[in-house]
Amino acid sequence: MEFNIDDLPVLFPYPRIYPEQYAYMVDLKKTLDAGGNCVLEMPSGTGKTVTLLSLIVAYQQYYPTHRKLIYCSRTMSEIEKALVELKSLMKFRTERLGREEEFRGLGLTSRKNLCLHPSVKREKSGSVVDARCRSLTAGFIKEKKERGEDVDLCIYHDNLDLLEPHNLVPNGVWTLDDLLQYGEKNKQCPYFTARRMMQFCNVIIYSYHYLLDPKIAERVSKDLSKDCIVVFDEAHNIDNVCIESLSTDITEDSLRRATRGAQNLETKISEMRDSDQQKLQDEYEKLVEGLRGADEGRQEDAFMANPTLPDDLLTEAIPGNIRRAEHFVAFLRRFIEYLKTRMKVRQVISETPPSFLAHLKEYTFIEKKPLRFCAERLTSLVRTLELTNIEDYQPLQEVATFATLVATYEKGFLLILEPYESDTAEVPNPVLHFTCLDAAIAIKPVFDRFSSVVITSGTISPLEMYPKMLDFPTVVQESYAMTLGRRSFYPMIVTRGSDQASISTSFQVRNEPSVVRNYGNLLTELSRITPDGMVVFFPSYLYMESIISMWQGMGILDEVWKYKLILVETPDAQETSLALETYRTACCNGRGAVMLCVARGKVSEGIDFDHQYGRTVLCIGVPFQYTESRILKARLEFLRETYRIRENDFLSFDAMRHAAQCLGRVLRGKDDYGLMVLADRRFQKKRAQLPKWINSALNDVDTNLSTDVAVSTARTFLRKMAQPFSAKDQEGHSTWSMADLRAHQAQQAQDEIKELQERREAEERQNAQAAQKKSATRADSDYEMDDEDMAELMALDGN
Amino acid sequence: MPVLTSDDMCPVCKMIRYLNKDMEFLINPECYHSMCSNCVNRLFNDGPNQCPYAGCHKTLRRKGFRSAFFGDLTVEREVDIRRRVAAVFNRVEDDFETLRDYNNYLQMVEDLTFDLVSGTDARRHDAEATLQQWEASHKAEIERNRKAGRDADEMTRRRVNAEREAARQRRVDALREAEDEKVERARSREAELDSLAQGAAPGGGDGQRVQLKRPGPAAGSSLASASFSSASGALADVGRLSIRGLKEKRKPAAAEGPYDPFGGMDFVPSRYRVREGLDHPWLNKYRLDRSYATGGYTFNEYTHRAMFEAFAGLGVFVDDEKEVGIGLSAREVATIGAGIAAVGDRMELD
Repeated sequence: MEFNIDDLPVLFPYPRIYPEQYAYMVDLKKTLDAGGNCVLEMPSGTGKTVTLLSLIVAYQQYYPTHRKLIYCSRTMSEIEKALVELKSLMKFRTERLGREEEFRGLGLTSRKNLCLHPSVKREKSGSVVDARCRSLTAGFIKEKKERGEDVDLCIYHDNLDLLEPHNLVPNGVWTLDDLLQYGEKNKQCPYFTARRMMQFCNVIIYSYHYLLDPKIAERVSKDLSKDCIVVFDEAHNIDNVCIESLSTDITEDSLRRATRGAQNLETKISEMRDSDQQKLQDEYEKLVEGLRGADEGRQEDAFMANPTLPDDLLTEAIPGNIRRAEHFVAFLRRFIEYLKTRMKVRQVISETPPSFLAHLKEYTFIEKKPLRFCAERLTSLVRTLELTNIEDYQPLQEVATFATLVATYEKGFLLILEPYESDTAEVPNPVLHFTCLDAAIAIKPVFDRFSSVVITSGTISPLEMYPKMLDFPTVVQESYAMTLGRRSFYPMIVTRGSDQASISTSFQVRNEPSVVRNYGNLLTELSRITPDGMVVFFPSYLYMESIISMWQGMGILDEVWKYKLILVETPDAQETSLALETYRTACCNGRGAVMLCVARGKVSEGIDFDHQYGRTVLCIGVPFQYTESRILKARLEFLRETYRIRENDFLSFDAMRHAAQCLGRVLRGKDDYGLMVLADRRFQKKRAQLPKWINSALNDVDTNLSTDVAVSTARTFLRKMAQPFSAKDQEGHSTWSMADLRAHQAQQAQDEIKELQERREAEERQNAQAAQKKSATRADSDYEMDDEDMAELMALDGN
Repeated sequence: MPVLTSDDMCPVCKMIRYLNKDMEFLINPECYHSMCSNCVNRLFNDGPNQCPYAGCHKTLRRKGFRSAFFGDLTVEREVDIRRRVAAVFNRVEDDFETLRDYNNYLQMVEDLTFDLVSGTDARRHDAEATLQQWEASHKAEIERNRKAGRDADEMTRRRVNAEREAARQRRVDALREAEDEKVERARSREAELDSLAQGAAPGGGDGQRVQLKRPGPAAGSSLASASFSSASGALADVGRLSIRGLKEKRKPAAAEGPYDPFGGMDFVPSRYRVREGLDHPWLNKYRLDRSYATGGYTFNEYTHRAMFEAFAGLGVFVDDEKEVGIGLSAREVATIGAGIAAVGDRMELD
């Protein structure tokens, strides 16, 4: 359908539109016009992606600025989905407009997913693919080939150089599969095609990391212009992504391998000194001059990029004491040895970077400044030595990253050394965490650089938390409710078992037999009345295991087994995907199944349980984080001190966003239906933290149920849902046709006019009043004047 | 049989860690050969002795033994050498005109260190000679820099301590606040229940409920500024300590003369000179006409003052003076506080 928002003509690829989609577009346009940031929450399964894309594409095609769209999503499958949506949208636009628009949309993912080289693409690990790709495509390899040496090159990559650099692929939208096929047909590398074409695209779809992780962003996203529109979809975990991108962990093993790497470097250097002294000398000269190849940082084949944010980069010459290659290697070795010694300590240590640096300087005479240049110097050295098997140097790279980060950042970072994995462990396994406590640091460059940043997700409540945590201003913060033709999802909070004993997974009571039995009964009852699939979320793997074994002892599992197949999520990805496969089969053939998963696991974030795959979701317990983690403790403290977010507020916010994610799993569209059961006493108080669309559907009477009441309510609901329901019933209310939309717009316009009129009237009235008052006062003063005059006259008379 | 690493067996007496759990290895910076503490006691108790390693003919004393900081003894030796070098070559970046000069100096030092650590005998000898020569010829400078370095270290140390103290204090305050709030909440609940028990209308109890206020940003900032001022007070102390040495040198000169209310400050202008007999045609009226004069005020006073005001403030750089005081940002204190929280000491509170 085709309609206008203000002056902007929007083409929407479906014949009908949801009211919330329209509202979303209006708000989005407002944000883009104002050039600010916004936080938008729209229920899952209401077509968020297509709404976003159709508005923004319309916006960029209509206005002459042609602002580029950068669409960031979290997982591969979501990127793929967005690309498919974009493709169908563009097809629709072409049909409607009758001409092909000058438009290019591309997706970017890792080399592992986009490689065509016959032997490299068989590698399983992403880092190995990266390393091997580099050894076939790096610039110096090509130079070697030109000199007539016998080296392998990647034919796919070389073919790219024969094409025009701004026209590697024709116009159109290229999904990842399309790109692979096109690459195979024309023998050109899809990965580098996408990378190099990014500047010439209208829409880029890729993962968060390409924008947030400074190690990658520096190389990939540097050339994007300032007026780009940046969208973070599924952004409810964005603060964690930010933090992870600036944190590193160092283990004893990685240090051992880093030592080996340093030794290898040493031998390589001495080899090179014997054979090709000139190259080392050239590099040295260049460093003395403080020259930095203008494009070095973002070269496609760079060994590693600087791990710090662009603003924090020092742009002066490399310090003199690490200019020579052998000096630098000795420097690295000293640093690694120091870290090894620190790791021998058998108690937990937390340190701020300045105190770490002071200690380091005292014992090894390593100053802060050369440490800060570590990553850059290592990159330069690796390039000079023309190393090809860079996967051997991975740990060394980690150490250099760590060194650079620790010397660059003082505030908002913390070093935590944990000698034991858990409190009860006997065998030490020390890990040095360098952790970022402030999510705002990593995302700051994005907000500084791009004028419009849109943060959106199905569950991003409470909305004000995100601007606070990420430290940015917003133009619009909005949460949309879901308009429904019938009540198609039914949230409820179960606080007591059938025996009226309260149920909770709080630490004190979680293993009490009565609580476990009550949870078991709830599961049994629900699995009896639920058709097809059912999903259960536990707060942690540990608790899931213990409760399952207790249920086994109580015979509850046998009971559930009568109605449903039981499948369990494990930390192992392959096992879990097998379980999911079986689950789907069981749901489709009518046996029905129950999937036991963990609220922070893989299933809770990426897998959809639409239609028969999920009719009931049961959330056992509030999914709090593991609060004894030192990193979490440090972060909580930091949040309280800097952003005035209290520990409990944050923990509860974090738990509820995960709970909401879990609940959202079963409802993936308006024709879908599902029961959402929150089973914990504590949910009662946290109700306000649920997303608006779930909270508004939660009746007050359903917030404090016992198992038996809950089950009878659920039974009624499911029976109602089982009645036939045609798409017609939704029309006009929860889906709008063109006519409905026009009516709405007219209504809206009328309202606006009315409001304006009212305002005008009010103003007029006020003016009139003011005028009246004025005239009244004037009259008064006239009168007074008269009085005075009279008095004067009288005085005169008197005289 | 498991492989014995050098960490598990003494190379001299072949004692293994299995038999002696708290075996400790010592080295002597003469030759960096490690041996267990028992061996050291056994061999060197009766005075100097030769190193027990085959081929090593160094004479060692018991006093020289210490435990190594690094696992890798070559690094240990390197760092010892660096310590010596760093004590002599202790210039900082501010001593140099350009960054490039400084970098060249750094490289020179590094080259020298490298010769000392891993050069051939001849080069080592040369480097040693250079080092000693430099030390002899730049003694005063080295001493000065060393002192400056020590002061800077002291400064950072105090600063870190001040921050830590501030963070700790705020943490304690926050915990206490939370505690208070909990107590308050319990009390208000109790009061409400009491009022209900006494038959008051539930609405009335509701109205009386104490609204607990949350620590808003305003409260926080005042807290931060309070701790800031206390911390900067401590730091001001530091500043005074470090410059006391300078002041005392100047004092005796001033103490000799008669009492001077301005503390020896003279008011002779250094940047300009006021000449007598300058002709200001537009001012002549005021100079010559007696009716403009007031008691105690001469016309020259006016010119002096005008000149003084014109030059006042030259040579004062506000930025320089600002840098003397050290800012203590909330974020920094928060980071340290987070560190304290991570280790999880409950501190004196409980």
